[in-house]
Amino acid sequence: MGTFIQLVVDGLSTGSIYAALALAIVLVNQATGLINFAQGGMAVMSAYIAFAVTSAGVPLIIAILAAVLASFVLGAVIERFLMRKFEGGDPDTAVVVTIGLLTLITGVCAWIWSYNNQQFPSLFPIGTLKLFGAVISIRSIGTILVIVAIMVVLQGLFRGTKLGLALRAVAINPQSAGFSGLPVGRLLMVGWGLAAGLGAVAGALVAPQLTLTPGMMDNALVYALAAVILGGLTSPIGVVVAAWLIGVLENLAAVYLPFIGYDLKIAVPFILIFVVLIVRPQGLFGRKAVVRV
Amino acid sequence: MPLTTVMKRRWVRWVTAIVVVILAIVVPLMLPEFANQTLARIGVFAVAVLGLNVVMGYTGQVSLGHIFFVGLGAYVTAYGVTNSWNIVLVFILACIIPGVVGLLVALAAARLGGLAIAMVTIALPIVGVPLAKRLSDLTGGSQGLSTNFAQAPEGTGLYTDQWQLYLVLAIGGATYALTRNLVRGKYGRAFAIVKGNEAVAGSMGVSPYRYKVLSFTIASIIGGVSGFLYMVVVQYTSPETMSFGHSITLLAAMVIGGAGSIFGSILGGGYYVLIPQLTNIIDPNLTAVLQGAILLAVLFVLPGGLVSLPRTIKRMRKSSVREPGSRTGSQQTIKPPERTVPPVDGPRIERQDQE
Repeated sequence: MGTFIQLVVDGLSTGSIYAALALAIVLVNQATGLINFAQGGMAVMSAYIAFAVTSAGVPLIIAILAAVLASFVLGAVIERFLMRKFEGGDPDTAVVVTIGLLTLITGVCAWIWSYNNQQFPSLFPIGTLKLFGAVISIRSIGTILVIVAIMVVLQGLFRGTKLGLALRAVAINPQSAGFSGLPVGRLLMVGWGLAAGLGAVAGALVAPQLTLTPGMMDNALVYALAAVILGGLTSPIGVVVAAWLIGVLENLAAVYLPFIGYDLKIAVPFILIFVVLIVRPQGLFGRKAVVRV
Repeated sequence: MPLTTVMKRRWVRWVTAIVVVILAIVVPLMLPEFANQTLARIGVFAVAVLGLNVVMGYTGQVSLGHIFFVGLGAYVTAYGVTNSWNIVLVFILACIIPGVVGLLVALAAARLGGLAIAMVTIALPIVGVPLAKRLSDLTGGSQGLSTNFAQAPEGTGLYTDQWQLYLVLAIGGATYALTRNLVRGKYGRAFAIVKGNEAVAGSMGVSPYRYKVLSFTIASIIGGVSGFLYMVVVQYTSPETMSFGHSITLLAAMVIGGAGSIFGSILGGGYYVLIPQLTNIIDPNLTAVLQGAILLAVLFVLPGGLVSLPRTIKRMRKSSVREPGSRTGSQQTIKPPERTVPPVDGPRIERQDQE
C-alpha cells in the first residue's frame, strides 16, 4: 500500500509538470489555433535564465519570477515578429516554423550554456513526509500545489477579468473581436507571453529533478502533447486532469506491469489516447468541434 | 496559342526527361566517391520525403511519425539480408510489412480528425525506439544491425558507391514516376478534395475515410522503399534511425522543399542531407542554431517552400518592373510540379489565369 501511494503522489508530481506545459500549449492553441512545438524549448530557455540569475547570487524565488517575466516578454516578441507572419496561413507551415524555433532555441541554449548538465537548485527543501506508511518527498507535494495554485489563478484570469474576457473573445473569433474594438494583435502577444511564462514555471519546477540540459523538456513535451489530446484542446481543466492521469498511470504501469517496465512506459499515454479517442474523438473533456463548411 | 504552348511544353518535357536519364547514367561515373555517396543519401531521403508528401502534402493528414516506416523498412531489409534471403523477396517484404503496419494504423487513426491523427502518428517513433531496443533478437537492440549487401556485381567494373547510386536512382526514380502518376490522376484529385474539404469530398462520393487510409498506406509503402534504400546506402540501422527528432526533421524537409510537390520532395531530400553537412562545415558548435535559423529564414522568405522560389521571383519582378519575363523557358521545366494539385484555393487559380 505504501508503494502504491508513493507511486500515485510521484505520478501526480510529474503529471503536474506535464500539466503546466500542456496548459501553455492549450493557451497558444486557443489563441492562434496552432500547436507550438517550441513550448518545451522555450521552457528550457526560461529555466536557463533563472539559472543564470541565481548564479549571480539572487535568491531562487526572485530568479524564477524574473525568468517568468523575461519569458513573458520573449513569448510576446516571438509572436509579434515571427509567428504573426504565419498565422492564418498554411497550418503545416506554421507547425514547421515552431519546429524550427525549437531547434534554434535548443541550439542557442547549448551554445551559451553547453550540453553539459547543470545543477539547478530546488525551490523546495529536500525532505520527506510520512503519510499512510508512504514516504513522500516535499518536492512532489510542492510541485502539485504550485500547479494547482496556477490553475486557480489562470481560471480566475480567464473567467473573472476583462483581460480574460478579451482573450477568450479573440480565441473564439478574432475577426469579430477586432470589429468590436479589441486590439487582437496585442492580445495574441499576451496569450503567447502567458504561455511562455507558464512554461517558465514548468521549467523551474522540473529542472532540479532532471538537471538542466538543452534537451531537458523533449520528453515532457511529448507527454504534454498527449495530455492535450487526451484532455481535449478546449478544456484547460481537462488537460490538467489528463496530465495527472498520464503521470500516475505510467508510474503504476512501469512497476505493476512487467512487460511494460521503465523503458516502454512512454507507450502508456498513447495506448490511453488510442482507447479514449476511439470512444470519444473530442477528448475526455473537450467539446465537439463544429466545422463550418 | 494554347495548343502551341502545350506542344512546346510536351517537347520541352521530353527533352528534359532524356537529359535527366542521360545525366543519371553518366554522372555517377564521373563524380568522386564522396559526391556519389551524398547524392545517394539525398535520393534515400528524397523518397522518404515523397512518402510523407503523399499523406501530408497531398492529402492534408499531419503525420509526425513517418520516419517509423523508414526505420521499419530498414529493419526488415537488415533482418532479411542477415538471414540471407533472396534480395528481391527482401525488397518486396520491405515494402509490404511497413505497408501492412501503415494500413492497420491508418484504419484506426483515419477515424480521428486533424490533430488526433498527428498524435497517433507521433506515437510511432516514440514507442518504436524503445520497442526496437526491447526486441533485440530481431533488431540487435541498441547495437543495431549492419549489413553489406549492395556490393557492385563482378564484371560490371563499377565501384560500390557508383553501384549504390545506380540502385537508388533506379528504385527511387521508379517510385517517383509511380507516385507522380498517382497524384496526378484520379486518386490525386480525390486526395486533394479530401485535403480541401472533407464534407465536400463526401458529398461528391469520395469517402474521406477510405482515401485517408489509402494515402497513409501508400505513404508507408514508400517509407518502406526508402528504408530499403537506406540499408543499401548507409548499411547500418539502429533504433536511433527512427527517432522522433529525425521524424520532425523529415517533416521540416518536406515543408522546406514544398508541400504537395514532386520536385519539392527532391529538394526536401537535399535539405535533409546537405544542411547538417553544411552547418558542420561552418561551425560544429553552432549546428543546431544554424539549422534552426536556416529553417526559419527559408520559411520567412518562401512560405511555400523552395519549390515556390521561381514563382516568388517572378512575382517580385512583375511588381517591380512591368515587363514580361524573357527567360520563361528555364522556368517552365520547373513548372510542372506546381500543377499537380488541382486548383482548390485562390492563389493557384489566379496563377492559372496568368499563364
